[in-house]
Amino acid sequence: MRLYVQWTVITIAAALVAVAAARYYDRHLTTVTPEAVVANAAGPSVVRVQGQVAAGTLEGDPAAGRATFRLSGEGAGLPIQYEGPPPENLRELKTLVIIGQWDADAGVFRAHDVALVTNYGFVVGAYLAGFLPIAVFLFAMERRVRRLYAEIRQTKLYEPESVAHVDTR
Amino acid sequence: MGALIKWMQRYEGWFGAAGAVCIFAGLYLGLVASPPDYYQGEVVRIMYVHVPIVQTAMLAYSVLFAGSIWYLWKRDPIVDNLCQAAAGISAYLTAGGLITGSIWAKPTWNTWWTWDARLVSFAVMLLILIGYLMLRTFIDDPEREARFAAVLAIVGFVDLPIVHFSVEWWRTLHQPLSISMRGIALSGEMLRPLIVMSVGFWVLFVYMLMVRTQVLYLTDLLRAKKGRLLSHAHLSDLPT
Repeated sequence: MRLYVQWTVITIAAALVAVAAARYYDRHLTTVTPEAVVANAAGPSVVRVQGQVAAGTLEGDPAAGRATFRLSGEGAGLPIQYEGPPPENLRELKTLVIIGQWDADAGVFRAHDVALVTNYGFVVGAYLAGFLPIAVFLFAMERRVRRLYAEIRQTKLYEPESVAHVDTR
Repeated sequence: MGALIKWMQRYEGWFGAAGAVCIFAGLYLGLVASPPDYYQGEVVRIMYVHVPIVQTAMLAYSVLFAGSIWYLWKRDPIVDNLCQAAAGISAYLTAGGLITGSIWAKPTWNTWWTWDARLVSFAVMLLILIGYLMLRTFIDDPEREARFAAVLAIVGFVDLPIVHFSVEWWRTLHQPLSISMRGIALSGEMLRPLIVMSVGFWVLFVYMLMVRTQVLYLTDLLRAKKGRLLSHAHLSDLPT
């Protein structure tokens, strides 16, 4: 019983960590497509847009932190006006995450930061592959060892040998 | 040596709890507090699970190697239980290291597998461990089984330096040693979660070793009770 309580607590703790990670991902790392931004699905809030810097569209001076380009997705793409810290990875044909707000009046996405594509699927896959088998192994071994101790106790292997009672009547 | 089993039964929980605390702290530091890599981006976070698993697999094999020498010297069946436990855990972690490494290789090298010296020598280590575990099922006489297995483990240990130094001895796709006598090629922000996770996995390995050794010892003990294995050492050192 104690084993199941222990492992229930561990499972709940792991589930809480997973939920916290998923919420963090939703809040800080999830991305939208350029088409969704153009359709004004995100509204005026700050969003992360993932797409490819279209060839022949990068203008301005990225080294000085000012650039304009078109971020293409599956459709026509999104015009970006970047102003922020000099981006290290901003170049044509590079798939990036652009952080900023959609200005519907001007029809341009005003970006203030650039991030790399997260590839979190690989990270999640590696952590699950690393931890799940160990957890299953430990649970199975803990259960087995407890059953073995119980079986040994039942066979009275732990008890010191006592003199057999002999009825002399 | 029954005292060792009693000690394991008493303190295993502490090791499990300490390992869990370190790993949860390492998860926070590795997944939240540490920065993404300049070239790899977020994928670098796989390092905090892959490297500790590989290190612990090699630590487990080192325990198997030392235990095998100890067994051939003392012929103590509980040491043999410990060796068999370390071999099983090492095989488990070696497979885990290969899988997590493969997942890391895809976004960074654009391939799941390549015939690289580090990868091949590590896969050979898994084959040696599988051979060790299979050998333990082939032989009827338990003492011969333990002796042969110990010799195989000692001979197979030659692969460990090859795994470790393969990235130095040959031109490999795998990155060279990040921590060596030449210094540490990692920033402090990435080194901290790596150390915490590594310590967590080492402590967790001790916990796994304690539990698995007890399973093997108790299984032998029950077999002895049933008269199938009358080992003097087991019968004279029963836990009370």
